[in-house]
Amino acid sequence: MKNLKKIGWSAVLLTALLGTTTAHAMDDAEFRSQFLSGSMDWSEVTKRAQDEGTVNFYYWGGSDIINLWIDQVAKPALAEEGVTLNPVRITATKDTVDVILAQLASGKGEGEGSVDMLWVNGENFFTLKQQGALWGSFADKLPNSVNFEWDNADPRAQLNLSDFGTATDRMEMPWSGEQYVCAVDRAHVSQEETPATFEDLKAYLEQNPGKFAYVKPPHYLGNTFVQSVLYAHNPEGTGAEPFQLSLEELGADKLAALIEPGFAYLKEIEPLLLGGPQGNPRYPEGPSELDNLFLNSEVHFNCKFGLYGVYAGLITGTYPETAEEMIFPAGNMIKNKSYLAIPLNSPNSAAALVAINYFSSVASQAAMMKQAGMPAGLDTWKLAEADQAIINEAAPPHYGVTQAEFDANIAPDTNASLVDVIEGTWLEVIERGSDKPIKDVVAEVVANLK
Amino acid sequence: MASASLRSLTFGQKLLILAVLAFTIGPFAPLIIQSLAFRWAWPDLLPSVWWLEQRQISPFPLAWDYVLSPTSKVLEATVNTIGIGVAVSLLCLLICLPAARVLARANFRGKKRLEFFLSLPLLVPEAAIGIALLMIFTGLGLSGTYVGVIIVHLIPTVPYMVRMLTAVYQGLDQGFEDNARVLGANDWQVLTRVTLPMLMPGVLAGALFTFLVSTNLFLLTFFIGQGSIVTLPTLLFSQISGGAMGATAAGIALVASLPGLILLVLSDRLIREEAFALGIGE
Repeated sequence: MKNLKKIGWSAVLLTALLGTTTAHAMDDAEFRSQFLSGSMDWSEVTKRAQDEGTVNFYYWGGSDIINLWIDQVAKPALAEEGVTLNPVRITATKDTVDVILAQLASGKGEGEGSVDMLWVNGENFFTLKQQGALWGSFADKLPNSVNFEWDNADPRAQLNLSDFGTATDRMEMPWSGEQYVCAVDRAHVSQEETPATFEDLKAYLEQNPGKFAYVKPPHYLGNTFVQSVLYAHNPEGTGAEPFQLSLEELGADKLAALIEPGFAYLKEIEPLLLGGPQGNPRYPEGPSELDNLFLNSEVHFNCKFGLYGVYAGLITGTYPETAEEMIFPAGNMIKNKSYLAIPLNSPNSAAALVAINYFSSVASQAAMMKQAGMPAGLDTWKLAEADQAIINEAAPPHYGVTQAEFDANIAPDTNASLVDVIEGTWLEVIERGSDKPIKDVVAEVVANLK
Repeated sequence: MASASLRSLTFGQKLLILAVLAFTIGPFAPLIIQSLAFRWAWPDLLPSVWWLEQRQISPFPLAWDYVLSPTSKVLEATVNTIGIGVAVSLLCLLICLPAARVLARANFRGKKRLEFFLSLPLLVPEAAIGIALLMIFTGLGLSGTYVGVIIVHLIPTVPYMVRMLTAVYQGLDQGFEDNARVLGANDWQVLTRVTLPMLMPGVLAGALFTFLVSTNLFLLTFFIGQGSIVTLPTLLFSQISGGAMGATAAGIALVASLPGLILLVLSDRLIREEAFALGIGE
């Protein structure tokens, strides 16, 4: 009898306890489904965000000026909205993706993870999406989504709807729109000598052997260089167009035919690349190594994602004073966006929504351009005139090339499923120096992927 | 005295001392210059533009201004590194002192094998341990916590400490403890007044070594800390990944070598004083 009573009391206590925690706020799954259904008022989100208090933002922390901007501008701005931004600086986004997947695999589901939002694109987004590790289609439900083009009928919306060929399904919010830009050192290369096409580059290297290098694939900067070579050497003359299709749609044989001339070119220039004249061509492992080679005049060009790369290089002392921008390769300068995403097990999803909404605002994007040298990710044609002026004014200076010239030479990214194959082909043909026909190499790489 | 003994050295000995100095102090010289540079390109012997020249016109804090600003997280990383290092050293001592006593004094079957097993963790690559532990620790809710990082730091430090303390214990004559007991000391008094003071130089050396290993661990800290626990090695790694070192990275590298440097000087003193006090010195 006594024991029964005890059990009864503890049951009452337990339900009371559970009751108070659930009454305090709806649980994470409920909040998610209500928000994603579009039936939730934004004021409810901000209120919940203030209750959550903190948002853990994981991002690549290798740039001092980006870190400073996050700390000095974004943090205080979000504090005003009642949310504490906790920036977690990481070396590689892939590591964070692995942590999220490991957490989900060990049963840390909705609301039980440690990452609230992350800076992501391309392969990492593809992995998260494929593994069902994303929070949902939130991007077009944020108040500041009006700054972006979501209409599929407008071709300019592709950068928001497709990330390396993977449909974003609004599971990530565009943050920054980058362009693959090459810098040139005017101390060595005159205006007349500046290459505009890959043939020009080869001619320049024949006169100045060893003075060019591109980042080694599978680093995305190396992949991007290879892609622009392939676009320019597309035997059908359709440039980037067929590379938008997935591997299944295009077919391995067709892909092999498309990339053959491009790989022939990559092989031709290899002896003319850095270290090539000494018989040992050298590919830098990443952008900082390439920056260093460029600063030390070991190469005369520096190609990477960086619409304001020259500006950032000059104010940080990592570029030579004589660095300028150039239009290369004409018509094939790849443009893409990077995004902010929320993982499924974010413990502070409302705070993450509020933070992403802030990062999508005109004021935040203008400050990001001005202080961090990151190009804006919003679509200026969606803005009111006054806001357009704010963005234009915030843009860092260009050196030797105008924004209009950059805009006139853009090309889209390659479909993520093709990137893997192209990367594998590069490793086989260039790194291992295989002499097999491209068709066989591609077939082998495709077979290994499956 | 010192100058006289220096003069008595042969040319070859002097050359050797110079080489040792060049190898120990040498690497710091370019680091210090780099930390004060704004633009330093090959083949210039010194930076073409110094940080101080650029400081006034730079739109953001450069070099040491950045390292010392809160954005660099250097303070947080230093506190974390030292805190974790101290906790790991103490815990490691707590585990290893009794173990070493048994290994040094007792004889039992399988002792040789046990000693071998104790050094096994040193043979397995950190990356292999890290990934497997991350899964387990995530399940236990220990990943991303200080407790998790401290536990994982014990893996590469315990084997060293056990070996070191076993050797120290073997050098300690049990007669001293027996004498104290005969004179009426209880177990606690024997431990605190006789055993520990006599072991002190070895314990200090072991603790110092553990501290240095712990403050230099990158991979295990990174896996288990999940990037949210910042230490000097993880901070440094995010700065230098990619093969180039700028002014801020050089500054952080210099800060990262400070805890070890200070501790080396301190412990050198302590051990010497301890030795003198015991009358072993001279």
